[in-house]
Amino acid sequence: MAAHMNSMEKLYNLSSNNATSFQKKTRSKLVSIPGTRPSVQNGQLIVSTGVTSLDYVIGGGLAVGTLLLIEEDQSDSYSQMLLRYFLAEGVVCGHELFLASAQDHPENIMQMLPSPILDDNVSTDQGDRPPTPLHLHDPDAMKIAWRYQNLPKFQTTFGSSLFGHCYDLSKPMEQQVRQAAKCHTFYLPEEKTAAKESSHLTGPYAGLLQCIQALIQKEGFDGSSSQCTVRNVLRVCLHSLGSALWGDDLCCSESPTHYHALTTFLYALRALLRSSLSVAMVTVPSHLIQKRVIMERITKLSDTTLTLESFQGSEKETNPLYKDYHGLLHIRQVPHLNCLLCAIPDTKDLAFKLKRKQFTIEKLHLPPDLSESVSRVSKVELPGCGPTSKHLDF
Amino acid sequence: MLLSVLQEKEAGGFVVIQDTASYSGRQLLKYYINCAIKSEEIVHVLGFEVPEQEIRKGLDRNYVHLFHFHNAYSDPLGWTKQSSFRVKHFTTPHIIQLVNKTQNAKATILVIDSLSWVLRHHNPAVICQELQKLKRAEGSIRMTFGLLHKDLHQQGIVGSICHLASTVISVAPLDIVDSAVAKTTQRKKSGKVMQEDNFFSIKDDLILSIQNKPSQSGHVKADLDTNEGDPASNLTFNLRLSEAEREAKEKVALPFVFSQEKKSALLRPSQSSGQIMYEPDASDDFDEEDPDDDLDV
Repeated sequence: MAAHMNSMEKLYNLSSNNATSFQKKTRSKLVSIPGTRPSVQNGQLIVSTGVTSLDYVIGGGLAVGTLLLIEEDQSDSYSQMLLRYFLAEGVVCGHELFLASAQDHPENIMQMLPSPILDDNVSTDQGDRPPTPLHLHDPDAMKIAWRYQNLPKFQTTFGSSLFGHCYDLSKPMEQQVRQAAKCHTFYLPEEKTAAKESSHLTGPYAGLLQCIQALIQKEGFDGSSSQCTVRNVLRVCLHSLGSALWGDDLCCSESPTHYHALTTFLYALRALLRSSLSVAMVTVPSHLIQKRVIMERITKLSDTTLTLESFQGSEKETNPLYKDYHGLLHIRQVPHLNCLLCAIPDTKDLAFKLKRKQFTIEKLHLPPDLSESVSRVSKVELPGCGPTSKHLDF
Repeated sequence: MLLSVLQEKEAGGFVVIQDTASYSGRQLLKYYINCAIKSEEIVHVLGFEVPEQEIRKGLDRNYVHLFHFHNAYSDPLGWTKQSSFRVKHFTTPHIIQLVNKTQNAKATILVIDSLSWVLRHHNPAVICQELQKLKRAEGSIRMTFGLLHKDLHQQGIVGSICHLASTVISVAPLDIVDSAVAKTTQRKKSGKVMQEDNFFSIKDDLILSIQNKPSQSGHVKADLDTNEGDPASNLTFNLRLSEAEREAKEKVALPFVFSQEKKSALLRPSQSSGQIMYEPDASDDFDEEDPDDDLDV
């Protein structure tokens, strides 16, 4: 079971529109781990994914002990960016990292982490903004609707929360900051222990699973070694599982030889995560996987699932509706963790854009269709059992 | 972008040329080989599909000594036990050894003609791993070219190979003879993806000419959203304002226009419940007397 914070009082906050500054009163039974906080929705211990707008969309953050699955976009650029944000957040919070990759060397991935913006220029809430004095000759001053002058502007981005950090994509993270964090890596071409692949259930992923299991036991993330009093969270990052470079032909053929390898691996991984203080982010090239039923199973075996759909190369790139954005984000699954209700986002139309320094996820707003060919429904048609005549005679 | 594929500075580039039965990509491949040897780079070709003479035809004679062909065409599976290169030799250490046999001052270019042949005889996942190792062998091999016949394989295999590639060039025929369209997709290490469509034609002497969109006889795509003309243009009444009219319009005193102090007073969040602010209008008659005093009831 994932770590659970025992709370004395719980304010039931149904509307998740505003970022709350609510702090739960807790008994300090559990040593608080830096970089984590209890969730307001279900009391789970959550960590930030690195992208604050993504945290908002998946219900405040990623619960410790869960698995976040990201279905990659066609060119794997944005999913790698999300991985880097996740790792950078781990470095800044002081968590331990585990990075596994079969394509790029983990050192190269670590060198491209974005640098954190540490002096907090957190903007105050929009509501506390002091009223601006009216300037008659100011072109922005409204002549007719001046009463609305001081109301906050309509925000499409989700409110900046006090959880998580801001990063600057244009600068890589400095070496001393990066080396302050303990990072364990697994690079498949350099692994010498080739487990007996065909006999093992997890096939090509056997070595990886053993490595993660050994690490969790050795460092005491599952609470086994009693000497460790300082508790920390392990962030596990697995890049492009299921691709041919892992030795798995799930993406190559419609009847793969290791049919159940990836699903068995994810099952075992989630069991490991649930019994330790760790959180995992896995990316899968789902556009290459031929059998859709395998993708459905993989989705069910993970907790939170997102799909990134990039506009590059598709006809949506030139569509004027999407001109401000670089792609769409689809939330496929949100977990129910120890409660009946899950954190449902208030909108499912989400889009992401990559500015020079930042990657943000926003609500996709379509402008009203003002063209002449739009049909406008003027009257609501009455159903058949309603009164047929308009004039009721008594 | 089609012409600058060879100038890629990033080491470990892998270029895949996808073709179909209706238009062969081999001419384009030979064009790149020709460009490479003309810029004095050593090219090694693993030829599975066509014999050596066909690949050599059309290459620049002065630089032909930089071109090395490894014959896997005559006996790829090793039946006669005399073959020089067999398909099972397609492993990274073997290829690098082959490439390093010729004295190289700088890294070479490896051309695989074609990848489809190799994929038929090996596990695709293993081939992907070998290609990834070739990409990382930056000391010996600068760039790898591969010809892939996409109609010979399942979609998953084509997708997996192209996922590894840094550049994918997809060629398709056009209605016009000798012309073809090439869709180039290039992915840089930073994650940026660029795409371009080019119309080109290659003659036998391997000269590539890129054309503008040729006039097509058949398909003319109907423009879905026609550009709407300005709707206010051809009307019998005037919808526009002249300058004088616009100034006059802005001078009109709007109703409910308050003075500056009243506006700022209203905008300030006030603690009191409600304030009635009355400004008498020009036509307001403010009489202090009570009109009911006249009543005699």
